[in-house]
Amino acid sequence: MMARNLFIPITLGLVITFLIGPFLIIVAASFSAGETLAFPPQGFSLRWIAKVFTVESFRDSFYMSMFLAIGGTLVALILGIPASYALSRYKLPGAETIRTIVSAPIIVPGIIVGLSLLRYIVVPFQVGITLALFLAHTALILPYAVRVVSASLGNLRSDIEEAAVLLGSSRLGAFFRVVLPNIRGGIMSAFILGFVTSFNQVPVSLFLSGPGVRTLPVDMIAYMEIVFDPSVAALSALLAFMSIGIVFIAERFLGFSRYV
Amino acid sequence: MFQNRAEALALALPAALFAAAVFIAPVVILLSDGFRAPGGGWTVSAYTEFFSSSLNQAVFLRTLKLGALVTIVAAIIGYAAAFAIVSLEPGKKGKVTGLIVLPLMISPVARTYAWIVILGRTGIVNQAFQALGISEAPLRILFSETAIFIGLLQLFLPLMIISLISALENMPKDAIPAARVLGANWFQVFWKVILPLTKEGVVIGGTLVFTGCLTAYITPAILGGSKVLMLETLLYQQVTVSNNFVAASVIALILIVMSFAANILLKRVATARNKTRIAR
Repeated sequence: MMARNLFIPITLGLVITFLIGPFLIIVAASFSAGETLAFPPQGFSLRWIAKVFTVESFRDSFYMSMFLAIGGTLVALILGIPASYALSRYKLPGAETIRTIVSAPIIVPGIIVGLSLLRYIVVPFQVGITLALFLAHTALILPYAVRVVSASLGNLRSDIEEAAVLLGSSRLGAFFRVVLPNIRGGIMSAFILGFVTSFNQVPVSLFLSGPGVRTLPVDMIAYMEIVFDPSVAALSALLAFMSIGIVFIAERFLGFSRYV
Repeated sequence: MFQNRAEALALALPAALFAAAVFIAPVVILLSDGFRAPGGGWTVSAYTEFFSSSLNQAVFLRTLKLGALVTIVAAIIGYAAAFAIVSLEPGKKGKVTGLIVLPLMISPVARTYAWIVILGRTGIVNQAFQALGISEAPLRILFSETAIFIGLLQLFLPLMIISLISALENMPKDAIPAARVLGANWFQVFWKVILPLTKEGVVIGGTLVFTGCLTAYITPAILGGSKVLMLETLLYQQVTVSNNFVAASVIALILIVMSFAANILLKRVATARNKTRIAR
């Protein structure tokens, strides 16, 4: 019996150390006063955290990633909400095909999406890198938007809007006044999931970078190949706290995990 | 259910057309490149050529090997962890599950970067080894299959644990005590009772982990360096270093076929018993 009592804390201790430990080391390393990335950190300072904000390429790529994550998710929702509604509320021939097409970007490795966009959209149609990144990130978020909104619609009884229509509301009016307010939590959850997915995404954006146009994670990889100072650690720690904060708030107020 | 077909199409088509134009068409064209013969017409010579190179074979086999290895080890650790979590009291269970899920919210770049600090020449592991007298000179752990293995395992283990938690929770509560009373030892309990009853969970988790390993770019790029390649990093190198788009197309199709196969398996198992909720 003793063995079993020890089994649980030892197993969980080891697993959690393995999963979280490396992240804590990154956080500790970012407070180092030394010139190179090392653990245990040499002394204590905030210089690397301060440096993050002075690196110009980090700032530019941060704005780019923010723009892609917010804009891409908004467009994915504008496309995805009506599609999810059609798929869950209408008798639609070929519904399965549409669902497969819309959710395909999740199955195909991101690096292939990026490369094919570069070769067959950017080059032949002379599309700018920023627009290409925007299209790629929107396509990538679309499956998540459709899945989360569909789940949310599935939890909502469809006879409510049928009743509204019978009582004289237009289909559109019923959607905006009855359905939309009821799936608000699902839409917010889809937005957060889309934001985090897009912001952390690397492979899709790998080939889609031009002079001065890069997403933040791609920029971080490029930076750490040249400079081995703790600033990438500091930036990683800051970004991680940002993502964790967003998800924590979402869970607290929206019950995020119900939809994901 | 509304019946108006035109209305339904008007709602669903923009999303479908967008995905088709931005995503499906370019990917299909890219894949067809691998079958184009130089003088027109179609051929599979790019594929035979790809697999005739011993470097490419090694990368292909390494990708399969690491994917399989990570999946198996994740399943073993996953069962132990999920079993421990399920036997916690409800309040603690939620907190521990939260800690397991937490890394999924952190950028893979940050998560992979940490291993440089741990496994590098002057990293924690080498410091410890030298202090303990296990090795004199620093060991070369970074830029090896071992480093990639560790990085991938850390990246995808949470997906396996989550899948197994829900599988174990759906298992009848008295199955294990019943088997124990009837004289089964713990190995028999696992093999004859737990494994069959949680088959879907481990298959779903395994598929997520395996496809994740297959399509991970950052981990092999940072922890494998330019020498220890996997299919994703080989694809990147073919494009950026060799400018060989035909080889890139071949690798792309191999990756897609492998991850589609894994996903079809996932769907089969998930629909075979529609009860388990798929986490991802």
